[in-house]
Amino acid sequence: MNRALEAVRPAPRAVLAPRPFRFREWLERESVFSWLMLTPPLLFLIAFLGYPFCYGFYLTFVSRPVALPATFVGFGNFEKLWNDPIFWQAAWNTVRFTVAATILKLAGGLGMALVMHQSFKMKGLTRALLLLPFIVPTVLSTVAWQWILDPGMGLFNRGLMYFGLVTPAHAPSWLGNPTLAMVSVILVNTWRGLPFFGITILAGLQTIPTELMETATIDGAGTWNRFRYVTLPLLMPVIFIVTTFSIIFTFFDFQLVYVLTGGGPANATHLMATYAYVISVTTGQLGLGSAAALAMVPVLGLVLIMMNSYVRRA
Amino acid sequence: MARHDFLGSTSRRDFVKLSAVGAAGAAVGTGFRPRKAEAKPAQITFLRESSYVKEFDDHFKNVLMPRYQQETGIKLNYEIVAAGGSAVPRLVSIVESKAPVDSGWVQQEWLYREGLLDVSDIAEEAGKQQGGWYPEVKALSQWEGKWKSVPFGNIGQCMAYRRDWFEGAGIKKFPDTWEEFLDAGRTLKKAGHPYGMSMGHGYADNNSWLLPLLWSYGSQVVAKDGKTVTLDSAETAKAVDYVRTLYKDACIDDCVGWLDPHNNKAFLTSQISCTNNAMSIMISAKRDLPDMGKVIDHGLNPKGAKGRFHSLVPVTHGIFRHTSDPEAVKHFLRWLMAPKQVGDWYRSAQMYHAPYLRAYDKDAEWNKEPRFKPYHELLETAKLVSWPAPADRRAGEVVNKWIVIDMFAKACTGAATKTVIAEAVAGLKAIYG
Repeated sequence: MNRALEAVRPAPRAVLAPRPFRFREWLERESVFSWLMLTPPLLFLIAFLGYPFCYGFYLTFVSRPVALPATFVGFGNFEKLWNDPIFWQAAWNTVRFTVAATILKLAGGLGMALVMHQSFKMKGLTRALLLLPFIVPTVLSTVAWQWILDPGMGLFNRGLMYFGLVTPAHAPSWLGNPTLAMVSVILVNTWRGLPFFGITILAGLQTIPTELMETATIDGAGTWNRFRYVTLPLLMPVIFIVTTFSIIFTFFDFQLVYVLTGGGPANATHLMATYAYVISVTTGQLGLGSAAALAMVPVLGLVLIMMNSYVRRA
Repeated sequence: MARHDFLGSTSRRDFVKLSAVGAAGAAVGTGFRPRKAEAKPAQITFLRESSYVKEFDDHFKNVLMPRYQQETGIKLNYEIVAAGGSAVPRLVSIVESKAPVDSGWVQQEWLYREGLLDVSDIAEEAGKQQGGWYPEVKALSQWEGKWKSVPFGNIGQCMAYRRDWFEGAGIKKFPDTWEEFLDAGRTLKKAGHPYGMSMGHGYADNNSWLLPLLWSYGSQVVAKDGKTVTLDSAETAKAVDYVRTLYKDACIDDCVGWLDPHNNKAFLTSQISCTNNAMSIMISAKRDLPDMGKVIDHGLNPKGAKGRFHSLVPVTHGIFRHTSDPEAVKHFLRWLMAPKQVGDWYRSAQMYHAPYLRAYDKDAEWNKEPRFKPYHELLETAKLVSWPAPADRRAGEVVNKWIVIDMFAKACTGAATKTVIAEAVAGLKAIYG
């Protein structure tokens, strides 16, 4: 093209005229789209988690009987709980319950996952059946456990009697004896939570490359050493996650104890959640009940932080 | 919730006037005269815990609801809450959130009396019309000189026992004293038929024999002033020792942890020969296990040195303060408590709710099943669980934290009498200050 002709052409504009606003393009901007996607869950969380939590936190500092206005009491609720022997019993029960049930679930879940990882007939069906305790609503399965643990008619004692291990006159009272009642609620919680551990750890197992196992085998590692030095280290992140979740769920377990023992006999199975419920609802002290519910949160938080840092170092 | 749906030109004020005229007519009159309200709320929601006797809820739904709608044009909405502990949380949430419920069975009303309307006129009128109220229930329904609820009936608690097993063991008459009760229990347990006396974290079957036992020994948990803790006494120690012996010598081990359904289950599966319960065991047996139904009987709680006692399990109806049309809801409750309605409602459940109104003392319904009569007789000796202290929030806290029940349960599971009393007293002092 001729230079002279080019010279007479209007020079291209340095700044483009603003393009007309297009809603679709605006929506597709990453900064807009991401917030659009985030907003519904955020609103949901604020409404159903954030607000109740903040309101609960506020309630811990007030005396707020049902149907009466709140009066500020500062740390009065916590002071009251500090001097309440049932609170300390419930706290101690919660710790014992959580530790015992989590260890049992972890050991059992690991075993379940290792077995499920093998090839055998009807594997799919077995996996599905093992999930049942987790699927059945807790209240329903706990009522079934009430029957299983019944001293005269229950499956447990009937089994023990059948094998001649106990006589009908000396059959164990699973929910009447304070120690056995705690053992029973731990066992039922373990039964219910085992599939969660089993399936999650199984998912972790399936991500371990078979080459590593083959290499270890060639290097002369036996079954135990393969598990100890290959499987377990690679499973640690999954085990950590599943244990963390389990500790939180177990710590705040309510339904199982409420249905099975109501916290009895003589508070032997009262947990933080059941005691907080009693204070809040059946004795109508919303402030004190909130304090009881939130009192152990810092302790639980500390345990989780310690676990986290331990795993990171390991 | 009463929702307004005013028809024609009649105003709300006219409706209130009509209601007042109706009320006056009922108060003066020889019976209740329903009026056709022209201005009215579209519906009134009435809440109750599901009754153990199905016919009771059926009667309300099939007879009373259509009748009220026919007479007034107002639709009743009957909200039923599952039995077994879910009513109190629901009631607390109704009061707190001002949920659209107008009236209902106000369980544990001491928790939220401030959220209830004054219903003195209805209670006074029903009492005047129907022979007067049993006095003890007034201590629950009346608060600061006003009726905050209208008493309805008592879900009685007494001893349900297997007459065939008792007679087989040579016990022809149900034991009259706690000592005789223990002796009979020893014999029956040796014969393979232990008692099953609930001592766990339930709400009725534990209080209903342990508190009367404590009272009959001459002990009281808190004095009448509602301040002084009086549990620490020689009488309490004797009662604790008695319960420990009764548990070891006469009871099934499991009963120390039982919730309210457990003794029904144990009785109906022939594991126990006696327990403290409402009529429900016999009702179930007659329906599902007719052979057992024939050999069940009921006895009053045995007596101690200071007499015979029972505990009340009261059913009372109240009106929530937040209702949008108090006069309309009051009209409904007044109508419900009028003889024409309430009499048949009691009878529909075979007097499962023993009326607190004296007019029903000689009702023919009590003769239909003579074995239910103890549930009527016990009204003469029944006290509120707070007795003799006022039925206030603090008394409720004592009951709902199972402080007295756990005192006995701990003794049965090995703790010393002194220790369990000291722990219970510490718990009481933390509540009463």
